[in-house]
Amino acid sequence: MGKYILKRCGYIVVVFLILSFLMYALYNLIPTDPARQELEPLRQGLKADEYEVLYKQTRQRMGLDDPLVVRYLRWMGLWKDVDGTFNGIVQGNFGYSNLYKRGVIEVIKAPMGNTIFINIFSTILSLGITIPLGIYCAVHKGKRFDGATQVVTMLGYSIPVYIIALVFMFLFCVIWRIFPIMGTKTPGMTYANKWQEFVDMLYHITLPVIVMTFGSLGGMTRYVRSSMIDALSMDYIRTARAKGLKEKVVIYSHAWRNALLPVITSILGWFLSIFSGSVIIENTFSLNGMGRLYWQGLNNLDFELVLAIQMFYSIVSLVGSLLIDISYGFVDPRVRVDK
Amino acid sequence: MKKFIAMLLAAVMLLSFAAVSAEDAHQLIYGASTEIGGDFSASDGWFTNNATDAMIRRMTDDCTTVVMNKEGAYIVNPTVAADVQGEMNEDGTKTYTVKINDGLVFNNGEAITIEDFVWTSAFGCSPVANELGAKVTAYLTIVGGQEYFDGTAPTISGLRILDDNTLSVQIVADKVPYYYDITYAAFTAFDMDFWLGDSVALKDDGEGVYFEGFTKDAVEETFTAARFMASPERVSAGPYNLVEFDQSSKQATLELNPNYAGNYEGQKPSIEKIVITRAEDATWADALKTGAFNFYDTITDGEQVNTAMDIIEDEANKEKLGYGFDYVQFDRPGYGKIMFQCDFGPTQFEAVRHAVAQLLDRNEFANTFCAGWGGVVNGPYGTAMWMAQEAEEWLDENLNNYAYNPEAAVEELIADGWVYDAEGNDYVEGIRYKKVTEEEAGDYKHNVKLADGTILMPLIIEWSSSEGNSVSDLLSVMLANGTQTAEAGMKINQNVMTFSELLNYMYRDVSQGAQYGIKTYGMFNLASNWSTPVYDRSYDFTLDPALVEQGYNTNFIFDETLDKLTMDMVYGVEAGDDAKYLEIWEQFIQLWNELLPEVPLYSNIYVSVFPDWLEDYEQTSYWSFENAIVYAKIAD
Repeated sequence: MGKYILKRCGYIVVVFLILSFLMYALYNLIPTDPARQELEPLRQGLKADEYEVLYKQTRQRMGLDDPLVVRYLRWMGLWKDVDGTFNGIVQGNFGYSNLYKRGVIEVIKAPMGNTIFINIFSTILSLGITIPLGIYCAVHKGKRFDGATQVVTMLGYSIPVYIIALVFMFLFCVIWRIFPIMGTKTPGMTYANKWQEFVDMLYHITLPVIVMTFGSLGGMTRYVRSSMIDALSMDYIRTARAKGLKEKVVIYSHAWRNALLPVITSILGWFLSIFSGSVIIENTFSLNGMGRLYWQGLNNLDFELVLAIQMFYSIVSLVGSLLIDISYGFVDPRVRVDK
Repeated sequence: MKKFIAMLLAAVMLLSFAAVSAEDAHQLIYGASTEIGGDFSASDGWFTNNATDAMIRRMTDDCTTVVMNKEGAYIVNPTVAADVQGEMNEDGTKTYTVKINDGLVFNNGEAITIEDFVWTSAFGCSPVANELGAKVTAYLTIVGGQEYFDGTAPTISGLRILDDNTLSVQIVADKVPYYYDITYAAFTAFDMDFWLGDSVALKDDGEGVYFEGFTKDAVEETFTAARFMASPERVSAGPYNLVEFDQSSKQATLELNPNYAGNYEGQKPSIEKIVITRAEDATWADALKTGAFNFYDTITDGEQVNTAMDIIEDEANKEKLGYGFDYVQFDRPGYGKIMFQCDFGPTQFEAVRHAVAQLLDRNEFANTFCAGWGGVVNGPYGTAMWMAQEAEEWLDENLNNYAYNPEAAVEELIADGWVYDAEGNDYVEGIRYKKVTEEEAGDYKHNVKLADGTILMPLIIEWSSSEGNSVSDLLSVMLANGTQTAEAGMKINQNVMTFSELLNYMYRDVSQGAQYGIKTYGMFNLASNWSTPVYDRSYDFTLDPALVEQGYNTNFIFDETLDKLTMDMVYGVEAGDDAKYLEIWEQFIQLWNELLPEVPLYSNIYVSVFPDWLEDYEQTSYWSFENAIVYAKIAD
């Protein structure tokens, strides 16, 4: 097992390096001039000589006059930066955000915290609803409740999340005014303690969490149901029932354990997705999360920020797929991941 | 299941109560369309602050010797400066001597010293500023600045601390006289210790100002912390203190500065607390309706203005919220436009540019695009500018308004020689052609060369239009695909691209690819705004190839008179000589109107919405929120 994990880690490094170069090259091939972009808002207030000097200085500071490979190696920390030091990813510097005027790590901290906070609730709530619901529907396949659930989940699956968000927002925020429409904090509120702050944030994220949960009910419920139906139709289930085992034991110990294997891929994927925000939900509810940050980075051509986020997601995906492979072995002893 | 739902509802009620109970009834919550970045550096230009960051910074730092007044003119601020004197020197330089009032203090009660006014200018002359990543240009303006920046002089000879209350600045000869040169005497107080730390000193031994102990290593940590600091410890001298910026929720909280000396009229604010939060384009109306914020600044889109009007008139919502809304409207200091590049293809001919203008019903366009909240201008100005207001009658009488008139457009084209078809025969229908010289033809891709060597240029205009742009969509319907355009024998090809690519073509930026250096698009749709009252068009129509290469004169119109007028308008007029400035401005506007390097499309009316408990809030194009809020108060 150890050897297998080491080998996979080696692959991760190679894939990361290839991916990082491809991504860096792609963003740098976009025909835009970051120096001009930075100075454009100031241009009207600058005299011609001032603009010329600033433009040259900005290009030099950004290292834009160097070849692509040199810039990539600088970004990775494998080539001396314009100030003569090695200062890249290898040294822990994931870049500088031109939009926020500070290091990418600094920029990412708060949105990452928000995204994880929101996604943990959403993921737990979604799994807490969908797994029992999927199992119940599979066990009661063809009954009225199953039919109704199929219709509702199909609706939830088909309706885009931004529609769900806007409808929920209209109902809960504008008509009934139960939840706040945006943000993670009541404007101007001074908290007496951390608990109050936590409660206020919880209050603000309740509706986004409900929307995210509602939007994800359909897929997972149907997945669990279908997996359970397959498992329940197996011979060993008939054998278990013939042995006179209790129905609960048949369902949860025999069927669910076997149905879990395909489901676990999705569940682990969900847990890994707690790091990635939702562009639509975060923008609709004005939440400062990773999805929104990524979108803003792209819109403002803040490539170092976008690259850092993408590289982070790449790592999460690569490590995640390794974890999923390993988890198969734990869930199903017949699977040997090191073979 | 019932138990679960009941528990959930109980939790929601608890949360609602816990969160809402602490709200302040008369708290101004400002919805900003630009998210707060969190960089509140001392100068907007050093790190290119975004609009909201810059606004917050201006609300917290307003101890400036020269300021803009309500009418948009730059004046000496008597609250801060006892006297400002400008004197021309024999060598062509100009020296401004500024005497600061006694008794000025920062928000923490500590006295403001003369060094606090001067250090930012010295910073702008120091190479250390560059090392810190700041974009500075003061060394190009102050005598001796360049030498100090280059390290060839130990002091900035043109920047002096004359005594505890007096400073002077000497401006280089090639930047004076300048119509706006009073702005060279604008010095704002920033606490030097707060920004640079105790280890740095600013001295003047009689030869000019210089820093002592000013290195990147010595100041970087303090300087960076000061840029991003938002807490009661932040030292500033404006009407408000930035007491909090929550990175997580992107909300900033500002509270009254009790030590503020007042603005140029001695006015101090009375709104105690202002919270600035993000407004989303898709949900701002619901947010306003439900009280998520109660101030929405500068609504630009006509449809959105109409939505705001509906909210203002919604009595039921007023009852629910406990307050209603009011609004203030003001003209946009700029306009949306079609921009031509005038050195190749059909758009090099004045008659073609005139024809395009006459083929578009601009009044209808403006009315449709602005949904009734906008109008049309006939030159490169906004109706908010004092020149436009002063010369309103003159503009009406002397400018061609290029009214919608397809027949007149055709007549102009015929008179200019667009009378052939693709074979060189007399024009009957389809696209018009004109016989052009080799020089006029250039390498325009649509040209046709006949067997006898005659070059025919078709009336095909390549239009670079940015993606996802509603102006482009409307232009496409009303102009490019309009029957009147086809009937006039003109074809406008819309080429949709990203805005950055559009800029590459506009600037002909070969550094981004050789294709951008090829003259491809003769028409672009963009907008011009003048966010400050400074109307300085110098170099915008330069003939100097080096400056053109740098991105000046994006119209590529090379008219000596146009260039001279724009230079003379600011560099040939003494500060304060408004009559001469206006005279040159009128000449420039008239010539521009004749040459028509751009077709102004619309100039919006902007609207800001505020709660009806706010009184005396008067915003204009240049007198923006940070200025106007100082006069506003809560209604009895």
